[in-house]
Amino acid sequence: MERKRKLCSMEEAASYVKDGMRIATGGFSVYQKPMAFVHELIRQRKKNLTLVGSTHCMDADMLIGAGCLSKIETSYVGMEKFGLAKNFRRAYQDGEIEVVHYSEMMAWDRFLAERERMPFYTVDFLGGSDILNKNPEIKPFKCPITGRQLYAVPAANVDVAVIHVHAADQYGNALIQRRHMMPQSMNAAITRGCGTVIVTAEEIVSNEEIRAQAENTIVPAFKTTCVVHVPFGSHPTPTLLASRTDEDFFRYYAQISSTKEMFREFLDKYIYGTKDFAGYLQLIGEDRLEELRRGI
Amino acid sequence: MRMNCTLEELLAVDMSHTFRDGELGFTGLATGKAAATYITNIPLAAMELAKRTHAPNLDIWLCGVYANADWSSLDGMPESEFEQEMMYLSCEAQEYDYPVTPYAARGGEVSFGFGSGVQVDREGNINSVCVGDSRHPKVALVGSIFLTEHMALFGREYIMMPHHERRNFVEKVDYISGVGFPGGREGRAKLGLRGGGPAYIYTPRCIFAFDEEGKIYVRSIHPGVTRQEVINNTGFELGDLDSVPTTPLPTEEELRILREEVDPRGILLRPAE
Repeated sequence: MERKRKLCSMEEAASYVKDGMRIATGGFSVYQKPMAFVHELIRQRKKNLTLVGSTHCMDADMLIGAGCLSKIETSYVGMEKFGLAKNFRRAYQDGEIEVVHYSEMMAWDRFLAERERMPFYTVDFLGGSDILNKNPEIKPFKCPITGRQLYAVPAANVDVAVIHVHAADQYGNALIQRRHMMPQSMNAAITRGCGTVIVTAEEIVSNEEIRAQAENTIVPAFKTTCVVHVPFGSHPTPTLLASRTDEDFFRYYAQISSTKEMFREFLDKYIYGTKDFAGYLQLIGEDRLEELRRGI
Repeated sequence: MRMNCTLEELLAVDMSHTFRDGELGFTGLATGKAAATYITNIPLAAMELAKRTHAPNLDIWLCGVYANADWSSLDGMPESEFEQEMMYLSCEAQEYDYPVTPYAARGGEVSFGFGSGVQVDREGNINSVCVGDSRHPKVALVGSIFLTEHMALFGREYIMMPHHERRNFVEKVDYISGVGFPGGREGRAKLGLRGGGPAYIYTPRCIFAFDEEGKIYVRSIHPGVTRQEVINNTGFELGDLDSVPTTPLPTEEELRILREEVDPRGILLRPAE
């Protein structure tokens, strides 16, 4: 019997996500987000998902605008220098989505609890905050050893975690860049405790290439459920060693997400109107994509 | 009084006096012009100035990731915390794991940080989540991000407010992202927060501080700003401001170091054109 090859289509990978599930997307803020996967969730018209994480941008905003999310648990939804996340803002203000506020470090702690198979992570720094006061899921308790006031922050407990990496092999070994930053660390963090890990990769490399730099394997094969080959899979967010931020697209998105109507037209053209992510990239155009690879 | 410098230089030099030798400063790389100036550029200029005057052992964690980064080779401040270029920024240590410098943040090793929000109140609480009720906000903002940890775990926090209007300085914030001194220092102590909380609020009009009971007061008013202007633009009672001093002007030597050594190419504190 042969070793299992885990390469599959984006369509198949996204089918692991069922309506009502809790999901986490890798990356951080406006960096290295698994956008191709997000598009496919929208194409498959998923419903009532909960997005769990620390900082979000277009991943959350698009899912919200397309009606896929009913809840988000996060410390940030925004576009950094490109402004506010407008679908998020609208849906939150109109009561169309439940927003559970966590703080940034604590939002990562929740994945540590999940990794340890513990129901909660313990923090001591929430006293007086509305992060605590307005979230009944965080439970105060007295430390059994010192008697100090502590807080139990519920584990992330996501059903599916999806990350975008610059390279992986067909068995599911996913690489991290040797010198890397927080978005890449987040990719590691959300996969550790999750039972269904989906890796999307800029490039599929040989098993020999993995072995030659095994110290950089961020997710070993046994943790990976499936691998999807998808160049520019984080567009318009950047992927280290692969592509830069598509700033023009961010600015365009800031415009078209200003109204529900314009955003609907955007979805019709770029996502519902394309068969897959390759079709979306055609609309972005080869010249632009080439530009995003320049100097990497 | 005539200003011998820009407002940004005034704030940076004043702030530099508040840093002590051997401290660890933590700053993010904020984006957007006003936010970047107040949360990133003024603090960086102040810390670099302090290093060159009285605090050579002040260490700077940029974005909580890069220790003592050297940006002398840069033509402009980076606009992205984690774009490819940042990966090779010259620094002494680069944290690979999150939460950013977790041992430093949780361990109380960070002496001070810089934060901002849309509202700050008389107790020094800060809000970056929403205007109105957080269940049905009138205006939804971005979220609490790292402010909760800043205000609870760092030795002290500098609240940096690029806008000083009544809507920003309110009686009570609509959402407490970061905790100041509810019930004074005594009240804060009961909350079990290990960090010191807000120490100063820097604005384009004045500098606030908190007294030994945790009560907010106006520490100084900038040259050219009247007391009435500060009162009119603050949404809570400030008491009698008659004896409040003017924010001291930098010395010529401080300005020289700032302009010639810290920021020779004007990438931190380029005056508005």
